[in-house]
Amino acid sequence: MILTAALGLPMLGALALAGSRRWTEHAARRFAVLVSLLSLVCLIWAWLRFDPDGALFQLVEEIPWVPSLGMGYRVGVDGIALAIATMSALLFAASIAYPVDTLGQPRQYYAWLLFLQSVSLGVFLALDLLLFYVFFDLSLVGMYFLIGRWGHGQPQISALKFFLYTFAGSLMLLLAIIGLYLSVDPYTFDMRVLIEQQPLTGTGLYAGLVFLALMLGLAIKTPLVPLHTWLPQAHVDAPGPASAILAGVLLKMGTYGMIRLPYAMMSDTFTRYAPVIAVIAVVSIVYGALVALAQRNLKRRIAYTSINHMGYTVLGIAAAAAFFDEAIAARQLALVGATVEMVAHGLITGALFLICGSFWQRTGEYALDRYGGLARKAPLLTAFTVLAAFASLGMPGLAGFVAEFQIFTGTFAVYPWLAVIGIIGILITAALFLDLLRQLFFGRLPSHLTDFPDLGRAEWGVLGILALGIVTIGVYPRFLLTLIEASSQILVGGR
Amino acid sequence: MLWSVALLPLLLAPLVYLAGRRVGRAGLTLGTALITLATLALAGLAVANDWSGGYRWSDTLALTLDLSTASAVFALVVPLVALPVIVYAGYHESSARLMALLVAFVGAMQWLVLAGDLLTLLIAWELVGACSWALISHRWGKAEIPRDAAQAFLVTRFGDLGLYIAAAAVFAGSGGFGYTDLAALEGGLLHVAAGGIVLAAAAKSAQVPFSPWLFAAMSGPVPVSSLLHSATMVAAGLYLIIRLQPTLSDVGWFAPLAMGIGLVTALAGGVVGAAQGHAKKLLAASSSAQYGLMWLAVGAGFPGVALLHFVAHAFMKAGLFLSAGLAESQVGSYRLEDMRLGRQLPGIALATGVASLALAGLAPLGAAWSKEQIVATANHQALWLALLVMLAGGLSALYATRFQLLAFGRMSRSTREVRSDRFAAPSPSPSEAWALYSLVGMTLLLSLWWWPEAQHWMVEALGLRLPESHPWELVVSLVLVLTGIVLGIALTRRERSSASSRWKSVATGWFGLPTLIEGLATLVVGTSARLARFDDHGLDAFVHAAVMRVRSASGRLARFDDGVVDAGLHRAARLGQWLARCNATRGEVLAEGVPGSLSRLTDWGGRYARQVQSGQMHHYYAGIAMGLAAIMVLLGIGVFL
Repeated sequence: MILTAALGLPMLGALALAGSRRWTEHAARRFAVLVSLLSLVCLIWAWLRFDPDGALFQLVEEIPWVPSLGMGYRVGVDGIALAIATMSALLFAASIAYPVDTLGQPRQYYAWLLFLQSVSLGVFLALDLLLFYVFFDLSLVGMYFLIGRWGHGQPQISALKFFLYTFAGSLMLLLAIIGLYLSVDPYTFDMRVLIEQQPLTGTGLYAGLVFLALMLGLAIKTPLVPLHTWLPQAHVDAPGPASAILAGVLLKMGTYGMIRLPYAMMSDTFTRYAPVIAVIAVVSIVYGALVALAQRNLKRRIAYTSINHMGYTVLGIAAAAAFFDEAIAARQLALVGATVEMVAHGLITGALFLICGSFWQRTGEYALDRYGGLARKAPLLTAFTVLAAFASLGMPGLAGFVAEFQIFTGTFAVYPWLAVIGIIGILITAALFLDLLRQLFFGRLPSHLTDFPDLGRAEWGVLGILALGIVTIGVYPRFLLTLIEASSQILVGGR
Repeated sequence: MLWSVALLPLLLAPLVYLAGRRVGRAGLTLGTALITLATLALAGLAVANDWSGGYRWSDTLALTLDLSTASAVFALVVPLVALPVIVYAGYHESSARLMALLVAFVGAMQWLVLAGDLLTLLIAWELVGACSWALISHRWGKAEIPRDAAQAFLVTRFGDLGLYIAAAAVFAGSGGFGYTDLAALEGGLLHVAAGGIVLAAAAKSAQVPFSPWLFAAMSGPVPVSSLLHSATMVAAGLYLIIRLQPTLSDVGWFAPLAMGIGLVTALAGGVVGAAQGHAKKLLAASSSAQYGLMWLAVGAGFPGVALLHFVAHAFMKAGLFLSAGLAESQVGSYRLEDMRLGRQLPGIALATGVASLALAGLAPLGAAWSKEQIVATANHQALWLALLVMLAGGLSALYATRFQLLAFGRMSRSTREVRSDRFAAPSPSPSEAWALYSLVGMTLLLSLWWWPEAQHWMVEALGLRLPESHPWELVVSLVLVLTGIVLGIALTRRERSSASSRWKSVATGWFGLPTLIEGLATLVVGTSARLARFDDHGLDAFVHAAVMRVRSASGRLARFDDGVVDAGLHRAARLGQWLARCNATRGEVLAEGVPGSLSRLTDWGGRYARQVQSGQMHHYYAGIAMGLAAIMVLLGIGVFL
């Protein structure tokens, strides 16, 4: 019940907000934060009940729906899903609580956010392919409206581009899911059955096509170069909190999907194509970092670093899939690293995009060269941005390092050359973040920024919680690693 | 327990920052000095009791701390040098943020030297880099300072990548990260790991070709430079190869490479120092050169000698930077030709003179003895190597003399008169002077190294191995040092005319190395700009066109919608209107007329019905049929109404 509660409460909250006209801005925000936090509490409770030494999937709930077609409501978690879902719920609570201009439609804004939280958690908690697909698609709808209605710049075009591009990915995913569904006997959408049976082992072309469709669909969502171009524009025109969720939660659906579907259900095929995926991931790492370095727009720059970081994650997943039985310790390290990267990136980039939202609320500008010298005017904003930037460039003591170190170390044992090329990414990331900090906060204060206010209490409160998460994972990653290792050990075949 | 040595300063640093603004200058200085003293005491306790520490992140990742000879020496020297520097900083800079960062820097450095495995080392290694970035960009208001800080960070981080690769190679070979695992490596992985370690160490300790980052680091305040060069950051690179020398020397190319890098840096740095006109940059070049000598000693197989020279260099170089800072606050710039403060600050000038002589390597100062040991280690390898080391020693005598005479020499009467009109800077505070004197005092104390009893005790206590030395080495060295001093004096005489020759500008700029590094950076930035254009116009254009096509298609659909579907509706609506109008005109007639005619019809029907009650069946039937027809007509009318 606990998982259903976690994903059902936000949906009920969204309905409550949508159903009545009498919500004031303040009440709607407070209610939405409360509901979102309740959902987070449910997941924390699930975390406490999760047994690292137990089965792969725990806390399973199952209600048959159309038994003859193998459809049903099935939810459950392994350590990987639980870690990402909990991070997502935290990020949703933070984004909902972050002050933003709701353009006079607070009720609708918070309702859409809660709806999006519900379906996003659904993606991570579903154990049924069909359910997974439905939630995966519904998340597009939620994000489409958040960008289109509360965005700035050319929100309509950006939202449409986002929707069409990722929806095309979803269609590929649907084809692949049908392909997987038809390969088991009796037909079922139950992920556990598919993971256990590995139905496509040794089916050659058929497996290859299903794998291609799956990976295309998920790579668009992740996104991997060259399927990434929907991302920067969607980010630039989205409101800050929606950007935070887009980067922090929605991108994870791609990489989480890679672990849950192709990696777990067709490990044989994944192993065959792992080198290709790893090369694409390394291209994403270097390309994303280099293109980010050239951006002169604050939000675009951070958006491109997301491509770089998701590249690390995919590299870890590909390295984990590189062999079937050998190098178990290294592959496990890579998979754990990839999962930690998802959690770390969610918190770090979420915080960075919320910060972008604060900049927009104050000046309505993202052009880096319009800023400067804010360190004295806004010390809190400076402190949080420096922390998030250093976390993003992989500074030890913060969450990003724990992830990237494991990914590189694990990958090196499998693909040494790719690891060495990929590691250049952290140098370019360092360059682009130091440059970003310099342009925003150092040097001379331009005259139009003399009234620039520092972070308000609600803003630094939210950022403080995210920062706490980033530091905690950085210095005491054990609580997270125990959870993730339990599942990745089973997935790489070590237990 | 060993964690406390590193964690005490690291955890108290935020407290220094938060409380620092309320307690005033004296309180701030006292507090940070006490923290440093406590760190020193903890380090002493740790060495005495041979503490160690461990902390697990996961089943695979474990952080460990343990003590070796090198780490014990470093762990004691770091707070010992930091203490006077911090006192100086309290009065010279007096910024809570700077003090907090200095304390954190000491903590990160302690962590680095106590690390027992590559993961723990890497964490501290990067933290030290981050601290130095924050320290160098302390005065962030000037546009170029954060740029310099970023350059310093990026060059050293490029080296850090080597450490990442080394850690990964050790894991790939052994499944762990410990120094012992590194020692157990074989074959290609050992070469990769050693290469990574050498790269990281060379970048950190500013060896050729990474030396120029030290010039960029000169944008930081004086206490930062002082600490950075003497006992932290730059020393970290040396520490690493001292600590891992037994393993590294198993790799065939390590010894020649380390000696080569060290020798080239020592000679090049010497020339740069001899030509520099900026007080701090002269000292920075000399740091590179001196660390070059230590690298050579490690490469030649005597890490203990490098360790001793590090100790001597730490105290003497920290002191020299502090006095450069005092000179700067007198004249307002680091240009050596503006200084010549011998008359204004006689005490400071004398103390600096001792440190300068130590840098020059003149007996009987401690640094001279450790330098002679390096000459002896070089002679162990080859005579020409020893001679080149002696030449490097002569160069350091030359630039040390230049520094001393230009910064703290006596100026000619004419310039003094000009000067006295312009400047009325306050003399250094007692705390600043004390900081310098204590560092110089330590430098003097190290003269004990010339005393054989002390040497014997030290070798025993540290378990060192010293090379055999010959008297002629000392003689030749001394001759070269004296030549250097004489040349230095001659150079400073001529330097009054500030003519800058071409070779001088080449030498002061590290022989074009910065241009090389900048060129690389420009290349990367240019590539990134080209890629970004490709991303926008190449990759994205396709998607954008597709979206625009969808939009225009939807626009066309919308027009279709307006023109066809909507028009249909429009027409339907118009039809309705027309029908309504018909209804209004003709319908009225019907609506009025029908009920009237109906009543007349019924009336007529009644009369007729009476007539038709004829009792004849066929009449009845005809009547029913007509009634039915009437009803049908009525119904029909009702439908149309």
